[in-house]
Amino acid sequence: MPDLPYEDIQGFILRTYAMPILRVIALKIEQAEPARQVLGGLVDGSNGSAGTADVAPKLATATDWTVKPQYCLNVGLTYAGLAALGLPACSLASFPEEFVAGAVARAERVGDTGESSPEHWKDPFASPDLHILLFLFAQTEDVLAQVTAQLRATYSHGAMSELSVHEARSLPESKAHFGYRDGFAQPSIDGGLPSAMPDVLPKAPAGEFLLGYPSQYADFTYPVPVPAALGQNGSFAAFRILAQDCHGFEQFLADAARQTGLDPELIAAKLCGRWRNGVPLSLSPHSADEQIPMEQRNSFDYVPSGSVPDAFDDARGYRCPLGSHIRRMNPRSSVVAGNGGLKHRIIRRGLPYGPAYDPANPDDGIERGLLGLFIGVSLKDQFEFLMSDWSNKGSFAPGLRNTKDPVIGNNSASGATFLVPMENQKHPVELTGLSRFVTCRGAAYCFLPSATALRYISALPDVPLS
Amino acid sequence: MALFHFGIDKAPPSDTSTSISEASKAVQSPLTLVMTLRSPEDFQVLHKRIKEIQSAPPERNPIWVALDKLKIVHFARFVFLENNTKLAIITTYDGSFDDYLNEFIDEIGDVFNVLLQHMKDAPPLPVQRNRGAFRDYIKANDLGGIAPFYSAYPQATVLDIQAALSQT
Repeated sequence: MPDLPYEDIQGFILRTYAMPILRVIALKIEQAEPARQVLGGLVDGSNGSAGTADVAPKLATATDWTVKPQYCLNVGLTYAGLAALGLPACSLASFPEEFVAGAVARAERVGDTGESSPEHWKDPFASPDLHILLFLFAQTEDVLAQVTAQLRATYSHGAMSELSVHEARSLPESKAHFGYRDGFAQPSIDGGLPSAMPDVLPKAPAGEFLLGYPSQYADFTYPVPVPAALGQNGSFAAFRILAQDCHGFEQFLADAARQTGLDPELIAAKLCGRWRNGVPLSLSPHSADEQIPMEQRNSFDYVPSGSVPDAFDDARGYRCPLGSHIRRMNPRSSVVAGNGGLKHRIIRRGLPYGPAYDPANPDDGIERGLLGLFIGVSLKDQFEFLMSDWSNKGSFAPGLRNTKDPVIGNNSASGATFLVPMENQKHPVELTGLSRFVTCRGAAYCFLPSATALRYISALPDVPLS
Repeated sequence: MALFHFGIDKAPPSDTSTSISEASKAVQSPLTLVMTLRSPEDFQVLHKRIKEIQSAPPERNPIWVALDKLKIVHFARFVFLENNTKLAIITTYDGSFDDYLNEFIDEIGDVFNVLLQHMKDAPPLPVQRNRGAFRDYIKANDLGGIAPFYSAYPQATVLDIQAALSQT
């Protein structure tokens, strides 16, 4: 087990904060030297003017808590941001190509086409001016306002300019907008912090989520951007603003129920792989069994495995369809092309935005969705692989034909279907009338620097911005 | 167009054409990997080694064991060509090689570590630690085929076929 330096690693990589408020601030670097100082000052909270350092916002690391803080602040830097900060060319050249290319250039690969394509994104996500994303998680609105004001005081004197602000707030019962309780499956990381929700799957090696440690692949460590002070203990994240069409989703459930005679809640469960209360179909195929305790709702596998030897053998998906959202995104020990069902895990952070959907007022015209962070050591092998291969193709598992993830997949083409395998029936029930329920409204690929990396950046010599 | 799909599975230009273009595209791809041996001595050593590997029972043949786990390769054969100066590996596999590169190396990398010791212009070994160079070597030495690639069942993957055959 690696001895991870928690004080160097950004907290949201290893820890579920479970805070109800998230504000994301998108920034442009106006002057490199002051911007570097602001970033460096976040590490030790020294950005306040003399004598007020105790109220200067401080970066949240994975250092153990005795008392839960009132807020947690984290930082992501885009490739354009790293360049604007004046990193040497050899450092810039050492980052992986998908991060260098960025979310706009990689949009087609992950299915961000049509309504989800960058030309429709909110400002400034398609802009090369997007340099820094600040992720401010808070316990209360007062704390949020206070820390935001303190942050603005650090960068608003010419170091950086604010491009946009994005708000997210938790919904009752930790639900996401389609009504499913969220946040069950997170990988347990070898050497990491205890998971909020027990995870029965094998521990993920640290190098699947942090630069500088052996990865999930045999005898392989992902290349660490140079110098080591910059790359080591860093990670990458895809930040995404995902709008959810709640009305369309509910309409689909109602229509599919009429078509098939199945209960709409069963259809909702088949699409996701969990009932809306989070109980997985694998544990309870016929009802949303409230008796299953919360902490057991992630303790399952799809077939008997080393982790769950007595798992029900659901190789054919009679309980949980092979094409359901959670089985696609985390097939666990299911048979998949490449035998890598446990090698593309991802850490998910984020919160919903917009008010809860009210079925009595379906056309309220209010955008709602998720501000999501999808964290892994390799954007290409984790986030992008999940989107391109497991979400938007059907060839990785048997019998899926050319179907896509029914919840997050790009089902905008007419004729998109979802297959529900049924025991004792030769052919699966085919649900038609899917549409794209989740639309990407903005995305950014971020490097998540360590505390050491932010100090390294703050000590870079001044070079004029080109 | 190169038939080896190195990350070129781009989405079609517009959303509405998705189902049409996907329906006409085979999920399978050909690999025609032709590698040049360093010397006649390398052929002698490698020929002996491949015969040893291939004469083992399937459960102890590392190539079979790996391909059984990967479940993306329909057929695979090894052929010496051009008076034993080249070794060809000819397969039909599912999906994009680039997508499964890491899994491929994890399962069958050691076999390539043996083969590539005897090849001209081989990438640095072991392939497990030099994944990008291994990919580039395969790409450079894959002759693909003259399009179109024929398949009797263009939409069926190894997984589809095995699942259908095991359906009672």
